[in-house]
Amino acid sequence: MIGQLSRLPQRLERFGLTTDRRHIVYAFAAAIMLFIVGQLVHPGFASINSIEAVLVVASFVGLVAAGQTFVVLIGGIDLSIPWVLNGAAILMVTSSLGQDDRALYGVAVTLGMGLAVGLVNGLGVALLAVPPVVMTLGMDGIMEGLTLGLSQGLTCPTCASYAPPFVQNVVNGSLLGIPTDLFFWLAVIVLVTFVLSYTTFGRRTYAVGNNPMASYLAGINVRMVTIVLYMLSGMFAALAAILLVGFGGQASLGMGDPYLFQSIAAVVIGGVYILGGRGNYLGTAAGSISLVALVTVLMAVNMPEYGRSIIYGVVILILLLLYGREEVEG
Amino acid sequence: MLLQSGKASPSSVKRRDFQSRRVHFIAQNVPLLLALLILVCTLLLYAILFYINQRRFPANFEITSIVNNSLPLALAAVGQTMVVLTGGIDLSVGGMIDLANSLAAINMQNNPSSVVEWSVLILLVGAAGGLLNGLFVVVGRLQPILVTLATLSIFQGLAIRVLPAPGGAVPPAFTTALTNPAAPTGLVPLALLIALWLLFRRTPLGVGIFTIGNDEQAARANGVPVLTTKLGAYVLGGILAALAGLFLAATSTSGDATSGNVFTLTSIAATVLGGVSLAGGRGSAMGSIAGAFVLTTLINVLFFAHVDPLYQSFYQGLFLILAVVISSLVGLYFRRRK
Repeated sequence: MIGQLSRLPQRLERFGLTTDRRHIVYAFAAAIMLFIVGQLVHPGFASINSIEAVLVVASFVGLVAAGQTFVVLIGGIDLSIPWVLNGAAILMVTSSLGQDDRALYGVAVTLGMGLAVGLVNGLGVALLAVPPVVMTLGMDGIMEGLTLGLSQGLTCPTCASYAPPFVQNVVNGSLLGIPTDLFFWLAVIVLVTFVLSYTTFGRRTYAVGNNPMASYLAGINVRMVTIVLYMLSGMFAALAAILLVGFGGQASLGMGDPYLFQSIAAVVIGGVYILGGRGNYLGTAAGSISLVALVTVLMAVNMPEYGRSIIYGVVILILLLLYGREEVEG
Repeated sequence: MLLQSGKASPSSVKRRDFQSRRVHFIAQNVPLLLALLILVCTLLLYAILFYINQRRFPANFEITSIVNNSLPLALAAVGQTMVVLTGGIDLSVGGMIDLANSLAAINMQNNPSSVVEWSVLILLVGAAGGLLNGLFVVVGRLQPILVTLATLSIFQGLAIRVLPAPGGAVPPAFTTALTNPAAPTGLVPLALLIALWLLFRRTPLGVGIFTIGNDEQAARANGVPVLTTKLGAYVLGGILAALAGLFLAATSTSGDATSGNVFTLTSIAATVLGGVSLAGGRGSAMGSIAGAFVLTTLINVLFFAHVDPLYQSFYQGLFLILAVVISSLVGLYFRRRK
């Protein structure tokens, strides 16, 4: 019996379920399991409305985690997400001033800011060889200072503006009975998966993640790939910020803080290898859903904050032990 | 290489040997020397700005305050260094400081036996937390960054369970003993820490940690007990984080289950400023201590430079990146010359 079980991976492989694809399946299975457990402990948890609500919250984590997936795929990490997101949220409301005719301008400026911050991160990592942890940690501080300073601690006259009604409608409205925000996320999932799996850029990303030196020798512009990936991470943080202010109406200080660890956890639960080169955004998306479903289940059973925090950590450890282990050396 | 030295005369070989050794020493210790240089510059800048503002130089009170405020970060940074030297990273430092801080604030009674008892217990909790991290990394074969991300959440949860709302108090005697607000007696534990580090570096465990960080497989091939050495590094990291929590409780005289959170990232920043390589195997705890003092002094520098406090993190972030860029450029220069 045990012998058969240990041969299971090889058998699954014959059906096209490679290690990477198995991780994605596990992540989705974990999400479904959590909904079933939630339904058992709190009847009504797996109702359509409640699933939709979980998915909407998961979409914000999922968008931030898309950027994190890109940089983790080349063995990097983006710690600047909290204040890029927070700064972007404030920039969005102060540039659009809650007016629909300024919405497009606001979105463009905000996404441009995310791209610019990512560019600086990428330049530091790729050209100056600053370790990603240090570069993005420093950048988080820089963005925190700029955000607090320029908005005078969110007391500036325009800081209390609302997101343009158009943006609010896009996030909170519904199409065919399903929140429009979810269609948007689905589009991002399809787009990112396509880019990673079927384009030259995606192939180059995996190549750089597996072996930067070999990639360089094979003619890949490793620096350019690195810079573009960090820019994408900044852009996705800004994108999540736009949707978040659309969702909640206003920006607040500290709204980006939870997204750093959540995005890393989602990436990891989704089976993306933290040292780079392996994994897919489909897994990350499933990881985001599992993560948010877990927190929602715990809140549904009135678990106090300390219990949520502990169980959160324990579940991540268990998931890691199930499939995040490194291969035995030698 | 061998042929060349075979042809050269003995005296020139000796001279070249000496020269190459000196260059080697400088190249090896450039990060530490730079960290100390940064510390000296920051302290000088602080003294000058202080003089311009106050028409006198920093005295007992200011020095005591800087030492006491730097101590928790210095201890956390040394703990971080232990793990970073093995090539790992410890994100759970902040959670362990929260936990130690909360335990101290809620349990310590105003008598010596209770203070000693709980200090020892809290350090044991730190050791247990570090052991947990180490077991998952070594036996579970998980990435350190992920394990400690999960245990960070667990430790933070436990801390909130212990102390749901900020409060509690530590005995005044405890504060006086660890971080006397009247005189810079904090320099004594600091000197002790440096002395212990210098001894530790030469113990089998200390040497093993450096060896593993440089090349784990080579270390294993050469008989370094990789498993126990790594466990040792994580346990020491946990104990030092708990000690940092005790010092934090002493300086703040009360407890808060979230006040330690910032230490996760600042301890990494101090370690990096101290010239410890995040890839492992290179660096010194003395550098990390210097880094901790730089980060603390920098806040005072910004204050006396009349920088809007809202912009404080901007300058801290910029400073961190610039320091790393400059030191890596200088390191590159020396390695090229070698």
